[in-house]
Amino acid sequence: MGQYAIKRFLTIVPVLIGVSLIVFSFTHLIPGDPAVAMLGERATPQRVAEVRAQLGLDQPLYTQYFIYVGKILHGDLGASILRGDPVLRDLVRRFPATVELATSAILIAILVGVPMGIISAVWRNSFFDGFSRLVALAGVSMPIFWLGLMLAWCFGVVLGWLPTGFRLGTDVTLVTVTHFNILDSLLAGNWSALVSSLRHLILPAIALSTIPMAVIARMTRASLLEVLSQDYIRTAESKGLPQRAVILRHAMRNALLPVMTVTGLQVGRLLAGAILTETIFSWPGIGLWIYESIQARDYPIVQGATLFIATIFVMVNLLTDVLYASVDPRIKYD
Amino acid sequence: MRLIAWVTIGIALAGMLLGAGPAVAQTTFVFGNQGEPVELDPAVITDGISNRITRQVSEGLVKYDGSTTNVIPSLAEKWSVSADGTVWTFTLRKNVKFHDGTPFDAAAVVWNFDRWRLSTHPQHENQIKAGKTFEYYEAQFGGFDDKSLITKVEAVNPTTVRVTLKSPQGPFLANLAMFVFDIVSPTAVEKWGVEFGKHPVGTGPYKFVEWKVGQEVILEANPDYWDKAHAAKISRVVVRNIKDNSQRLAGLKAGEIQGFEGLNPDDVKVVRADPNLQIILRPTNTTGYLAFNFKVKEFQDKRVRMAIAHAINKKGIVDALYGGLGLVAKEFQPPSLWGYNKELKDYEYNPQRARDLLKEAGFPQGLKEITWDDGKKEPLQFWYMPVSRPYYPNPKEIGEAMAADLAKAGITVQLQTTDWTVYLDKRKNGQLPLYMLGWTGDNGDPDNFVCYFFCSPGASREGFYTNQPLTEILLQAQKLTDQGKRAELYRKAEQMIHDDVARLFIAHNQPPIPFQKKVKGYVANPTNSEFFNTVYFQE
Repeated sequence: MGQYAIKRFLTIVPVLIGVSLIVFSFTHLIPGDPAVAMLGERATPQRVAEVRAQLGLDQPLYTQYFIYVGKILHGDLGASILRGDPVLRDLVRRFPATVELATSAILIAILVGVPMGIISAVWRNSFFDGFSRLVALAGVSMPIFWLGLMLAWCFGVVLGWLPTGFRLGTDVTLVTVTHFNILDSLLAGNWSALVSSLRHLILPAIALSTIPMAVIARMTRASLLEVLSQDYIRTAESKGLPQRAVILRHAMRNALLPVMTVTGLQVGRLLAGAILTETIFSWPGIGLWIYESIQARDYPIVQGATLFIATIFVMVNLLTDVLYASVDPRIKYD
Repeated sequence: MRLIAWVTIGIALAGMLLGAGPAVAQTTFVFGNQGEPVELDPAVITDGISNRITRQVSEGLVKYDGSTTNVIPSLAEKWSVSADGTVWTFTLRKNVKFHDGTPFDAAAVVWNFDRWRLSTHPQHENQIKAGKTFEYYEAQFGGFDDKSLITKVEAVNPTTVRVTLKSPQGPFLANLAMFVFDIVSPTAVEKWGVEFGKHPVGTGPYKFVEWKVGQEVILEANPDYWDKAHAAKISRVVVRNIKDNSQRLAGLKAGEIQGFEGLNPDDVKVVRADPNLQIILRPTNTTGYLAFNFKVKEFQDKRVRMAIAHAINKKGIVDALYGGLGLVAKEFQPPSLWGYNKELKDYEYNPQRARDLLKEAGFPQGLKEITWDDGKKEPLQFWYMPVSRPYYPNPKEIGEAMAADLAKAGITVQLQTTDWTVYLDKRKNGQLPLYMLGWTGDNGDPDNFVCYFFCSPGASREGFYTNQPLTEILLQAQKLTDQGKRAELYRKAEQMIHDDVARLFIAHNQPPIPFQKKVKGYVANPTNSEFFNTVYFQE
């Protein structure tokens, strides 16, 4: 398996080369000029030309690309056109917020979705089955933008139980070390910061978890139903094993594989940044950051962040594949 | 047993996490901004999001008085100008220090001016190399080095600065009152270089504390502020980056923020209906217009332009689509500017008159096609922007309303839009025949409105319009220092623009700023120069 993992890891390189070429081309092919975006209504042809020259945008595209690749090989993802901040530094600052949100969302999705899927499969065609399938359908269909707004208004404005947005209350001081607020609070023993961080995390995590929860629930149900029809399950039941043991110890081990696949894909998707959720809840993650950068034509951020996300995706997929072997000992890798 | 334990833990957690969080302390004022600042070095920024913060930290020699655009002393106690209008002498306040302890004196002022105007100044050069620009210095003073209108800045003594101009400039003081020309600590700029924008230091009533990237900027009251009468009443200010308009309103209603910028016009009635909230209107300094591209042959005929002027029901649009906050525009300057021509009579809404004018111009069947200067013909496209702007809060709806009005007058248009940066690109390249755009004033001076658009005959910014007599009047007004004489010239200029239908002015908007009811003392200014040190809470 070690060799397999190394081989898979090495495939990242051609993937990233391809991604860098595609992203570079696409960002530069988007109509609209970063200099015009910066200057706005005050843009004149002369000022635009000056700003383009200052930013190196008047160079031929292939020259710009090779300069870009050269910098990446030195660990430099470039600097924001708008602010001049190094892209890598901002990524390190913003990505933890996305990881915190994505982790919470996927945990909720798994803790709710898997049991829901199991119960649906076991009590197939019951009222609960119908209800949970309806909930799953609503989860994938409901626009997150609307759901997020409704959650913020209901629990934040009307009931006043939870904050409407952000990561931390204004009156809480937290020394940032890792940029993971929960971890930094624990490291500092800052109880009020921990409570504040958790309170701010609840609503965006719930909003973000609805789609993965629905997908996981549906896949768990489908996968478990298939496994439950297998002969060895009938054998286990006929041997007198309690139903709980049959489901959890025997059926779920095999039903889990497809569930792991979709969960891995969902994790990758969430880590890519949940733009809508981050916008609604002013969550300072990378999704909102990339969206604003596309609007501003801030090419280095779009390119650097997309490369980073592609890397994350590949790593998550690799991890998922490697985990298969630990779940199912029948799987062997060349 | 295990189930009971889990349920108990769950209830305890819910009790801890749910329920009203700690109320924002009465010593903290939280303001919701529409986005993240670009940076906090006033000299190199142009956006309102950034300058909302820099204005609290740094100050200029002069400033705008309250809710007007009249210029009053700030770091300069008084000033005088030579008879020929080219030499300004400023007397500076004594015993003022920057937040880092550096003395504010003539040397610091000279240093700041030199940084702006000299491309060889190390703290100017490094910004250019970092891709920044001293955009506003160039726009207001003509350029750098030999091109700069300001030719010399001298420290006569520690509290006197003399500024020499190449030629008189009427808006000189109005320009200096802009946020861009705030005086910052030379020590801090030299220490931080291009990173000064992350560590601003000025003389203002608030000091910079921290910028949590992507989240908020924190300021605290300056206990050594020189103007004791206007020292900050609230000790801490947090300016939060909240991108979504609805989320800002939710935060205000929940009490998490006490005020914000950027209220949806449709939400004005929601705020007005809430007894815990209030709205303060910013005096208008913005004008939305409909521009003609004079490379279109049909628009070179004044009768066609006048037909369009008579066709648009401006009052109907303002009443329906500005949330009760708009004013019909009859000229470029908004009423808050001292060059405004009160006597000017607008073109009345009269679709029949529009039809008659089109017939006279040779379009008895109406107008639906245009001819460019190069002979190319195409359907008449009417462009509206895809993003809300201060002067057009609902551009799509406003565009549709105007298109419907034009149709009643026999002018058939195809509504078009595109991405905002592409829109501006196309306008710059002269590709838009008839388009919506607007302007928000920078310094409260009529020159900033009228001359910016009508002093470069044939420029794309002007829609390629040329009117030499108009340009001459505006350039003449720019050089005078007597406000009365200047006002007369601007009134005349507005009449000329109106008579020639150079552009069609649609509306001025009064941006609403919502606050919690307990917030008092906030003074809205047409130039967005607004300060938090006058704000206090009163339940």
